Amino acid sequence: MRRLVSVFVILLLPFLAPAMEAEQLYYALRTKVLSVKDYTADVKVTLDVNYMKIPPLEGKLYYKVPDKIRMVRKDGISILPKKNMSLSLGNLIPAGKVSVLDAGTATLQGKTLRVLKVIPEDDKSGIILSKIWIDEANLLALHTETTTQNDGTINMDLTFGKYIKQSLPDKVTITMDIKEYKLPKGITMDYSEVPTTAGPKKPQGDSKGNIIINYSNYVVNKGVDDKVFEEK
Amino acid sequence: MMKLLQIELYKIFRRPRTYISFGVVTAIAFIFQLAMKAGGREFFEFGMQDVTDTFNVQGSIINGYLVGYLILQSLLVQIPLLVALVAGDTLAGEANLGTLRLLLTRPISRPQLVLIKFLASSVYTILLILWLAVVALFLSLLLFGTGDMINLKSETFVLLLKDDVMWRYGCAFLFAVVAMTAIAALSLFLSAFADNSIGPIIATMAIVVVLTILSNLELPLFNAIRPYLFTSHMIGWKGFFDDPIPYAAIGKSAMVLVLYILGLVGGTIFYFNKKDISS
Repeated sequence: MRRLVSVFVILLLPFLAPAMEAEQLYYALRTKVLSVKDYTADVKVTLDVNYMKIPPLEGKLYYKVPDKIRMVRKDGISILPKKNMSLSLGNLIPAGKVSVLDAGTATLQGKTLRVLKVIPEDDKSGIILSKIWIDEANLLALHTETTTQNDGTINMDLTFGKYIKQSLPDKVTITMDIKEYKLPKGITMDYSEVPTTAGPKKPQGDSKGNIIINYSNYVVNKGVDDKVFEEK
Repeated sequence: MMKLLQIELYKIFRRPRTYISFGVVTAIAFIFQLAMKAGGREFFEFGMQDVTDTFNVQGSIINGYLVGYLILQSLLVQIPLLVALVAGDTLAGEANLGTLRLLLTRPISRPQLVLIKFLASSVYTILLILWLAVVALFLSLLLFGTGDMINLKSETFVLLLKDDVMWRYGCAFLFAVVAMTAIAALSLFLSAFADNSIGPIIATMAIVVVLTILSNLELPLFNAIRPYLFTSHMIGWKGFFDDPIPYAAIGKSAMVLVLYILGLVGGTIFYFNKKDISS
C-alpha cells in the first residue's frame, strides 16, 4: 500500500511543482507592485466611449496606497473610471489570501508569458477572478482580465518602458463594460438637424469602452499629501 | 435713412416697456445663477447619473460656461416674447396711436418705412442678445469662474476644453441674433395687419409656441414639415457646442432663418404697400 502511495505521489509531483511556483510568482509580483506606496505622474487620458465626445485630457495623477487616486487639471474637469473599478494595477491584483492556479503560457506582445488565475478568498475587493499574464523574466504583469462582482470584466493592457524597474507602466489601456447613457430629449432640447459631418451614428446601449492612459514624469514614493485626494 | 432709423430707435427706447425685456433677462439670469450657486452641483449630478455610475467626474463642473449655457437654453424660449413685445408694436402701435397716417405724409415710401421699422427692431434685438451675453455669460464667468464645459445631450456627453469655448459662444450669439431677427420679422409682419399691438404680440407667441411643440414632438406625422419650421432651426446655436460642430446643418438652419426673414419682411412690404391706412 505504502509503495502504491509513493508511486502516486511521484507521478503527481510534476503537476504539483508548477502550482507552488505559480503561487510564488504571484506573491513576488504582488510584492513588487505594492512596493510603490505613492506616485505622481503627468498623464494624458483618452476616453473612447460610444456616447462620449471628449478630447484627450492632460493632467497630474496622484496615487497613494491602498486605493487613493485623483487626477487634477487646473480649472478643468477630470474623468476617470470609478475608484472601485480602479485604474491602478494594485487594485486589480487581489490583496489578502488568494488561491493561485497555473493556467499555462500564452504569447502576448511577442513574448511568451505565464498565465495565472487568482481567486481571492474573501470578497472585500469585489474581485471574483483575476487572470494575469506575467513576463517572468522582468516580473511584470502585461495583461490582466479581472471579473468583478458589480462592474463586469475589466481588461488591462500595460506597456512598460522608462519606469520598468518600479513596475510602473508608460501606457495602460483599460477595456471595460460601459452602461448606457440617455436623457429625455424634452429636457436637453437637442438641436436635431442630423449633421452631415458627424459620421455614422454609434450604436446605443451597454457597450465596451476603452480608456487609454499615457504616463510620464513619475515621482515615486516621495509622499503624497492626503489633502490632494479631498473633493473640493 | 439714418435719421429715420435714429428716430425709430428713439421711439423704441423712449418707451418704458422696452426696458422690461432687459429687466426680465437680468432677473431670470440672476435667479438662475443664485440657484446654481446654492445647489447647482446636485442638480447637474442628477443629469449625469448614467455617467457617474461608471466614471468619477471631478473638478470645476459648475463654472461660468456651463451656467451661461443653461441660462441661454432656458431664456431663448422666452426671448421671442421679449422681441415680439417691441417688434409687434412697430406698425400696429403707430396705428393705435393714430400716427401712422401722419407718418406716411412725410416724404418716405411705404417700403422704406417698413424697412426702417424692421431695422430698428433688429437693432433692439441685437442689443437684447448683447445684454443676454453680458448677464448670462460674463456675469456667470465672474461668479463661477472658467473651466471645461460639459454639454449633456440626450444621447451624447460632450466635454469642451475651456480654451475652446469662448469662440463658440461668439458664434452662438451671432446665430441667436439671426434667429431672433426672424421673430422680429414675424412680429413686424403680423403688426402690419393689426391696429393695436397686443394682437401681433400674442399672435407671435402663439405661433412660436405651437411650432416649437411641432418641432420637438418626435412623431412621424410631423417629420415631413419639421425641416420647414423656423422653430426647428432657431436652436441651431446649440450646434456650436457639439463636437464635431455640424457646420452644414447650422449653415442650412441659418439659411432657412434668413429666407424666413426675407419672406416675412417682403410680405410685410407687399401687404403694407396695398393697405388702406385709415388711422
